[in-house]
Amino acid sequence: MNARMLRLEIRDELLAILREPTTLFFSVLMPVLFYAMFTAMFGGEGSANAAIIAPFGTFAVLAVVMMSPGIGLADARERGWLRVKRVSGTPLWVTLVAKVLAALPYAMAVLLAMTTVAVLVASMTIDIAVLARVFLVLVLGAVPFALFSLAVGARAGTNASAAILNGVLMPMVIASGLWFPHEIMPGWAVAIGKLLPTYHLAQLAMAQIEGGPWVGHLVVLGLTVVVGAAAAAFAYRSARP
Amino acid sequence: MTALLEVKDLKHTYDGNDALAGVSLTVDEGEFVALLGPNGAGKTTLVRSVISLIRPTSGTVSVAGGDPAHAAVRRRIGVVQQDVGFPRTLTVGEVVEGAAARAGVESAAAERAIDEMGLDGLRKRRSSDLSGGQQQRLQLAMGLVADPVLLVLDEPTVGLDVSARRAFWETLAERRRHGAGILLTTHIVEEAAAVADRVVVLDQGVVVAEGTPDELKRTLPGRQITARTGIPVETIRTAEGVVNATSRGDQVVITAIEAEPVVRLLLDLDKDLTDLVVATPSLDEVLFELTAPGKKVAA
Repeated sequence: MNARMLRLEIRDELLAILREPTTLFFSVLMPVLFYAMFTAMFGGEGSANAAIIAPFGTFAVLAVVMMSPGIGLADARERGWLRVKRVSGTPLWVTLVAKVLAALPYAMAVLLAMTTVAVLVASMTIDIAVLARVFLVLVLGAVPFALFSLAVGARAGTNASAAILNGVLMPMVIASGLWFPHEIMPGWAVAIGKLLPTYHLAQLAMAQIEGGPWVGHLVVLGLTVVVGAAAAAFAYRSARP
Repeated sequence: MTALLEVKDLKHTYDGNDALAGVSLTVDEGEFVALLGPNGAGKTTLVRSVISLIRPTSGTVSVAGGDPAHAAVRRRIGVVQQDVGFPRTLTVGEVVEGAAARAGVESAAAERAIDEMGLDGLRKRRSSDLSGGQQQRLQLAMGLVADPVLLVLDEPTVGLDVSARRAFWETLAERRRHGAGILLTTHIVEEAAAVADRVVVLDQGVVVAEGTPDELKRTLPGRQITARTGIPVETIRTAEGVVNATSRGDQVVITAIEAEPVVRLLLDLDKDLTDLVVATPSLDEVLFELTAPGKKVAA
């Protein structure tokens, strides 16, 4: 029965994304435009562009999974729709997991759009197996951020959630070197950036392209999943219905 | 009669204030109980405790012998809540199918509930595009989908026009005939008087009166008598059992402990008396008397 409920919840979440074309358009378009702009500014020719897909892919995925689940949850809570779900006996984990899982294909769509632009416009060349690994890392690595998004959405209103999540996302994106390379940033910003899970997600994706150590990044992301899940569950349970 | 809902000594405290201060009530099989009270009386807190949206500070709630904190028990309750907005992106059909899935019943049950609530023509309409009355019907369709033993309805007729309201009560009457118990909160007091078997009046978190609508009306002393007569009000005021008498044009309005001796007196004094009306207090008046500050009476 819970499996049927989960299928239904995921379907509802996906319909919510597909039936709001304006949101879909901007959340796909914005990261792709940023990618095109920064590739023109900092990218090289041919396969050199492949490296830049890791930080911009991270940004693209985070732009979706940090915003969509939390704002959706806040909206459902403000409408009273969460009360309906609670009364109907929908388990907490079903509501939260559905929101996270529904954000993942959405994130994948943004990555595909960005990769298509990279290949067609910036002549990016990348081994398909490497690209698949990057996608896998970014999509699965986005889970803790989706959980954090839910924690905010369970407590704040719709507009406040959008503001808080944007306010958290943008500094993390910049400090983690996802827009500007760390080489051109001040030391203190780099030091802070290296503490952030966004940095470790981008580095884990980068390790798939350029090689290098990855276990430490994975451990940080694993810990972030635990913290994010606990925060989401606590925030949801303690939110006044 | 089997008690489908049993609330015992329920207390709930918000930020140091007692929203509920020891409420007990029951709803039996096939019984329709109306919960009345002014704003802030604790009605919605009680309803939310019954459907386990909030955990009471103390006391117990039992639905069909089980604890509604358990999802399986909660699925036996059909609920219409206040202030529920549907997702912008789901259609009527999808919303009711979702309710069927959450309740663990077949999709065919969703079809039946949609038909029962007259939403068939709106199946593909976005639920948030419905009128207020249609949204209330949609909520009831969701509530009925699992054939619940208990219906808990918090202000369900807000936004319904007269014909929709009539259809709504007919649906509930049908459910009662099949044994469902109903707990209703409403601000439309006369509506409650017309449909409820029993009325429970809540004020400041406690039950201040309980009984059939007629029993409650009898708790207010006095009858109101109006008539067109030439008898001076001063004369009427001196009569035994008259609490008050005022003139309104060529009419007198009399409040009396008992109607019969006063009516006999009026007819003896004025053979040409016309337009005689004897009225019992309305449930609205009873509610006002029971819950107005400093006006509480024991029932």
